Amino acid sequence: MFRRMVLLLAFFVILCACGNGKSGPYEVVFSMDGPPNSESASITAVPAGKRYTIAIVPKGVEIPYFQYAAEGAREAGAEFGDEVIFEGPRNADAEEQIRIIEDLIDRKVDLLAVSANDPDKLVPVLRKAKQQGIRVITWDADTEPPAREFFVNMVEPETLGRHLMDTMAMSMGESGEFAILTGSLAAANLNEWLRWIRVQHEEFYPNMKLLEVVPTDDDQNKAYEEARRLLAEYPNLKGLLGNSSVGPPGAAKAVREAGKAGRVKVVGLSNPNLMAEYLRDDSAQMATLWSPKKLGYLTVVLAHRYLDGAKPADGQEIDKVGSIRVNGDMVIMGEPLDFTKDNVDQYDF
Amino acid sequence: MIFKRGLTFRFRDMRLSSKLIVTYLLLTVIPLSLLGYLTYAQYARSVEAQIGEYMPKFLYQANADIAKHMNELMKLPEMLFNSEDSLAILRRSHYGNRSDMNRDRYILNGYLTRTYMAGSNPDLIGVYVLSNGRLFQSAKISFREQDWQQSLQRYGEQWGRDDRTRILLPGQIDLRFASDVPYVFLLKPLFDADNRKLLGNMLIAVDLSFIDGILHNFETNERAQLWVMDGAGQIVYHTDRSKIGQRDPEISHYPVKNGSFRSMAGGESRLVSVNQSQALGWVLVHSIPAKVLTERTDFVRNVTIFVFAGIVLVTSLIAVLFSWNVTRPLQRLSSLMKTVERGNFEVDLKVPGGDEVGTLARSFNSMIGTIRELIRENYQIEIRQKEAELYALQSQINPHFMYNTLETIGMAVEEGEREPVVEMVTLLGRMLRFSVSNQSKSVTIGEEVQHVRDYLTIQKYRFEDRLDFAIELHLDDREPHTMYTPKFILQPVVENAIKHGLEMRKTLEIRIAVSREFGARSGKTDLVMRVRDNGPGIPDERLEQMERMLRSAGYEGRSNGFGLSNVNARIVMMHGPQYGIQIHSIKGLGTEVTIRIPVMHALE
Repeated sequence: MFRRMVLLLAFFVILCACGNGKSGPYEVVFSMDGPPNSESASITAVPAGKRYTIAIVPKGVEIPYFQYAAEGAREAGAEFGDEVIFEGPRNADAEEQIRIIEDLIDRKVDLLAVSANDPDKLVPVLRKAKQQGIRVITWDADTEPPAREFFVNMVEPETLGRHLMDTMAMSMGESGEFAILTGSLAAANLNEWLRWIRVQHEEFYPNMKLLEVVPTDDDQNKAYEEARRLLAEYPNLKGLLGNSSVGPPGAAKAVREAGKAGRVKVVGLSNPNLMAEYLRDDSAQMATLWSPKKLGYLTVVLAHRYLDGAKPADGQEIDKVGSIRVNGDMVIMGEPLDFTKDNVDQYDF
Repeated sequence: MIFKRGLTFRFRDMRLSSKLIVTYLLLTVIPLSLLGYLTYAQYARSVEAQIGEYMPKFLYQANADIAKHMNELMKLPEMLFNSEDSLAILRRSHYGNRSDMNRDRYILNGYLTRTYMAGSNPDLIGVYVLSNGRLFQSAKISFREQDWQQSLQRYGEQWGRDDRTRILLPGQIDLRFASDVPYVFLLKPLFDADNRKLLGNMLIAVDLSFIDGILHNFETNERAQLWVMDGAGQIVYHTDRSKIGQRDPEISHYPVKNGSFRSMAGGESRLVSVNQSQALGWVLVHSIPAKVLTERTDFVRNVTIFVFAGIVLVTSLIAVLFSWNVTRPLQRLSSLMKTVERGNFEVDLKVPGGDEVGTLARSFNSMIGTIRELIRENYQIEIRQKEAELYALQSQINPHFMYNTLETIGMAVEEGEREPVVEMVTLLGRMLRFSVSNQSKSVTIGEEVQHVRDYLTIQKYRFEDRLDFAIELHLDDREPHTMYTPKFILQPVVENAIKHGLEMRKTLEIRIAVSREFGARSGKTDLVMRVRDNGPGIPDERLEQMERMLRSAGYEGRSNGFGLSNVNARIVMMHGPQYGIQIHSIKGLGTEVTIRIPVMHALE
């Protein structure tokens, strides 16, 4: 009898066990969930809480191009909560730039982003910064590669150099004499562009003659003076090409004052704001540039991310900038923009 | 305890057939039904588990397809930046005259139509660009709301912290298209990266019907519900269109974000599979009533139940028949036993078969037969004993002996011999008293010997010198009075000897010896009485005949030798076949009759 009772009890237990599983409104059948992960965090990219001190060193603080770049840099700094120090020599002077970098090293910034006036002279001071644990990148104008982690470039040098030559040739009708106003003969980026200008010239435009390459030290007054000199010296001068932002406005001013507007063509790298008046009265035909604001913004964004531990990657999409390209340790922001009298009003830099 | 005792009591008192049926139910029906139930439950579970396992994988794929499609769509606004003309228009903030503005609108609307509406993407319903208070648009379907422009303008100046394309879910929009298609807005801030300024916002209305196409690839059952919602439960798309824009209140209770679970919410058991996409955070849900999943198995279940019921019916019938088969002979046996109890032994239990019940019936039959036989035997022994006693009684008062004795007495009286007469009369009187007075079957050896001595003495008076006898008792002094013997066993033997002896011979000598001897057949010391005569002896064939007669149980009338067989029969009846009479005879020399009885010290 006892055995029967046990048997009945066993049945009862089995029945209970069968009915049991259904307690509660949900019963998991299958789960693919791994350990709980917050993948949704990547959708709303909240900036990492850490704040950095980022020093942006331009070629010259008084050059409008760099002032616009500073605007963009500050915009990014405000978004990340970083302190952006914008300090540099007054004009494109390497010695002064070194002193300022020394000063910034003493202030223990987290990162130095330098637009180098001289690719070689700056190397020792940047090495020193690196030894003190300060990250070093370059933007706008590069140094020797070992001195920095990566270089934020605006455009492909070849593309820009060939394009500048093309705009000169186009406005001059592919024949005649022209001169080039460059910034500093030491600046690496200007020399690189200059090299490609020459390549394009020799390759496609045999009827054009390059008279002179004149340095302006990124000083607008000096550019103006040099342009006047060239106009006086070469009566057959048909074109002036500036490959640093102070060149074309100075040249255009000289051309206008010489009453040669439209006869001597002025093209080159410069800010639309500086060029707007000359473009309108045909003292200049075309300006080419990129957005320095965007460059400043991108530099700080990449600097911040680098401090967070992420290096820029090819094809990376940067908010409010677009996709960037990375070639070795060189970041390329995008393509150059051309400004004519038709579109120059659209741009504010 | 009460329950247990009650059950015990009840079960014990139940009829055997009920017990068998109950046991059958316990051992067969319950395990069978339990097994059936468990199998079905397990099967249904495994079907569910199977779907629960592959559905999330489908959903994952579908979700990935949706996300991929949405990502493609979210890249569409970039096309606007490829057009310098369009950017130039958007960068304008004020106009000198109305016609400039209308021309810009014409240009940009045309661009939007060419690029988006007439483009290769059929999922776009409309594209709206809001910039500096201006609205540029191109749409396939118009809005229902009259004031849709004002509603849209609200989005015009919104500005997130980045310029990513965001998705405005139906619940965040209060605009409906005339054809009531499910849609979302893609909101793209138009950010002028060069000037670092917001130009405005672009809204692209995307028809979500493409999700139908993706989902219909793997779910065609119309009772299944599929919906897409964002991480907060805001329903973006639903197979039931009326639910679009509502919130799923249960999302926070979902036990898994990628997988399947059974839900009892809403009173109906449903199998819910969910998958959350990594890219959009959208949750794709597939919900199907459990009933639908098991519809096909339900047929199997019904068939199983039907077959099960059939089997239970048939086996129950067999069980009833079987238990009846077992218990019916037992019932018959019990009723027959009652008959036997009442004294009727003339019964026969006919149960065929060699099983236990058959064996029992056969044993019963043989037992009844044995009882019957025993009764009959006892009955016969009784009759034979009565007959033997009657004969003995008759022999005691044999009229022939009486007549002869009285004639002898008469002759003696004539001759004037007084003493022999007195003695003979005395002896005859004592013999009569021995016969009459003692009613018991046994007497002491002394009495039995005295009786035969009296008889022989009387015969000696009659035959005088022709008869001679001697009696020897090889016993202790007390023993003749303490040892018992069946009554009246010596006289018939002696009578027989005298009768046959004196027929053939002139003189006869009779010797009677009583002694104790070891008996080979009984295995112990017996009392042996030998009656020896020197008569003519018995011929061999006659001796054989007599011995046959002694061994056979029955009587064959009162023929010659009846006296001997009567004595033998009485001894055998009383003490068993190892006792009785033996006859040894040698023709011409004489005969010896040996009477062998057990030693008896008390009356039995």
